[in-house]
Amino acid sequence: MNLSRTARAMLWAALAGGLAVVYLPLLVVLLNSFNADRTFGWPPSGFTVRWWEAAWNSTGVREALWTSIQAALGATAIALVLGTMVAFALQRHSFFGRDAVSLLIILPIALPGIVTGIALNNAFRAVLEPFGLGLGMFTVIVGHATFCVVTVYNNVLARLRRTGSSLEEASADLGADVFTTFRLVTFPMIRSALLAGGLLAFALSFDEIIVTTFTAGAGVKTLPLWIFENLFRPNQAPVVNVVAAALIVLSVVPIYFAQRLSGGEASNR
Amino acid sequence: MNTTANTTPPGPPPPAAPGAAPRGAAAPAPGGPRRRLAAFLHRHAPLRLSLLLSAPMLWLGVAYLGALAAMFISALWRTDTFTGDLVRELTWANFQELLTAEVYRTIALRSVGVAAAVTLIDLVVAFPMAFAMAKLASPRAQRWLVIAVLTPLWASYLVKAYAWRVLLSADGLLGWGYGLTATIITLSYLWLPYMILPIYAGLERLPNSLLEAAGDLGARGWRTFRTVVWPLTFPAVVAGSIFTFSLSLGDYITVKIVGGRSQLIGNVVYDNIGAANNLPFAAAVATVPVLIMLAYLAAVRRTGALENL
Repeated sequence: MNLSRTARAMLWAALAGGLAVVYLPLLVVLLNSFNADRTFGWPPSGFTVRWWEAAWNSTGVREALWTSIQAALGATAIALVLGTMVAFALQRHSFFGRDAVSLLIILPIALPGIVTGIALNNAFRAVLEPFGLGLGMFTVIVGHATFCVVTVYNNVLARLRRTGSSLEEASADLGADVFTTFRLVTFPMIRSALLAGGLLAFALSFDEIIVTTFTAGAGVKTLPLWIFENLFRPNQAPVVNVVAAALIVLSVVPIYFAQRLSGGEASNR
Repeated sequence: MNTTANTTPPGPPPPAAPGAAPRGAAAPAPGGPRRRLAAFLHRHAPLRLSLLLSAPMLWLGVAYLGALAAMFISALWRTDTFTGDLVRELTWANFQELLTAEVYRTIALRSVGVAAAVTLIDLVVAFPMAFAMAKLASPRAQRWLVIAVLTPLWASYLVKAYAWRVLLSADGLLGWGYGLTATIITLSYLWLPYMILPIYAGLERLPNSLLEAAGDLGARGWRTFRTVVWPLTFPAVVAGSIFTFSLSLGDYITVKIVGGRSQLIGNVVYDNIGAANNLPFAAAVATVPVLIMLAYLAAVRRTGALENL
């Protein structure tokens, strides 16, 4: 391509500058978690680890973290099942209304979160209240699963498109029934796509605040809800900052797994 | 093979010898109920399809769409001004107020403006970044750059908004203060990876030979961009814009964190649900972003952007 030297330099500069802007705020949060000053005046007056201790010993943080993990695991499990089913239906069959179904899967994530939130809130209260049930962990999981389906669906669909159905046909020709073929041929083929989609679903659910606000009852407090609640309390600021810093550090874990997944795939090809 | 199976009747059926049971054979399938079910499913594709679609459609088609529909119907109800109870009579009053009251029109326009500004900023920032990643970097560097762009995506949304609250606060590193500009900056920051990744994927699919051909035919950088790169990556750009636009349109958390006293559509919805306890009006307000997004999705369907999501 005929790119002048300046154009190349400018593109590289844009990339470097963009990445710098992406990482600067995260670095500031990390640094601030060691800031001895309660108000985070810049530059920090000194460094301390006592906020990390305070956060570690905070029961509110621990309980919120556990709640978030439970909700994310539940939502991911449901999303894995539903997303895989839809992906197979849309990729292996052609039928009337296929486009509408694929649009329906995207809808919960394409619509603003607050719309999904109040629609579900309204429906849960109308359906559950007659049974004496309130909002709680169950409703949070249902709400999260609704928009997590799309991540699994996308990953599995892409995989099915790439692999095609010839291996499954071969398996059937060799006499394996539908279930055996799924167990021995199809599932191993889509396993890493399921892992990738599940990872994304978990992260989406773990991070979700808007839908959670409307589907969680008084008793359920996920980590994002806890952070948001304490964000505006000046005396909680250091602990909130440590939780934020810890979440930034922890976000490396799924990236590591995602990379291993895609790396393994690349070497398989 | 079959002789061993006859001596152990309760065990799982042995795999049929190749050719023994041709596909789609009308003969009764041998073996236990599982085998018969498998054969039945194999022969009846429509049944397989409806089984696959059953649970997802119950969940998303009936429950989720039903919840959305119920919410929009409740937008046509009203609450009693004195008791705060729901009055289930159809009325256009909520929409009338929405359309006539100056304040809501301002907020709606402001929200669309913010969403458009965020989308535009992200596009301008993301395209050169994605281009450098896809077309200038070596394959090895590309892998690392994708990780570098993906990493912040896994960091919590709240944490990133909070980071900007710290940066922008009066005694922070930047110290620009809060307000609408702060909201636009923060939202652009939050959704930037959602713009970079689709464009990067679109550019990666764009064969280098096309760029070389354009160059061989005498086109320089800008012209190649305008006539080759842009038209071919446009669906990817639109896919990215769906994310940035939609995510900005419904947001009320970031506005609360860095927006100072500014309000967007999301805040009006939230306040009407919480403090005012006026679900019908909240639902009516919530139809605004939905209609805007549906119009947007309908408009871009033809570009093939939805396949790029």
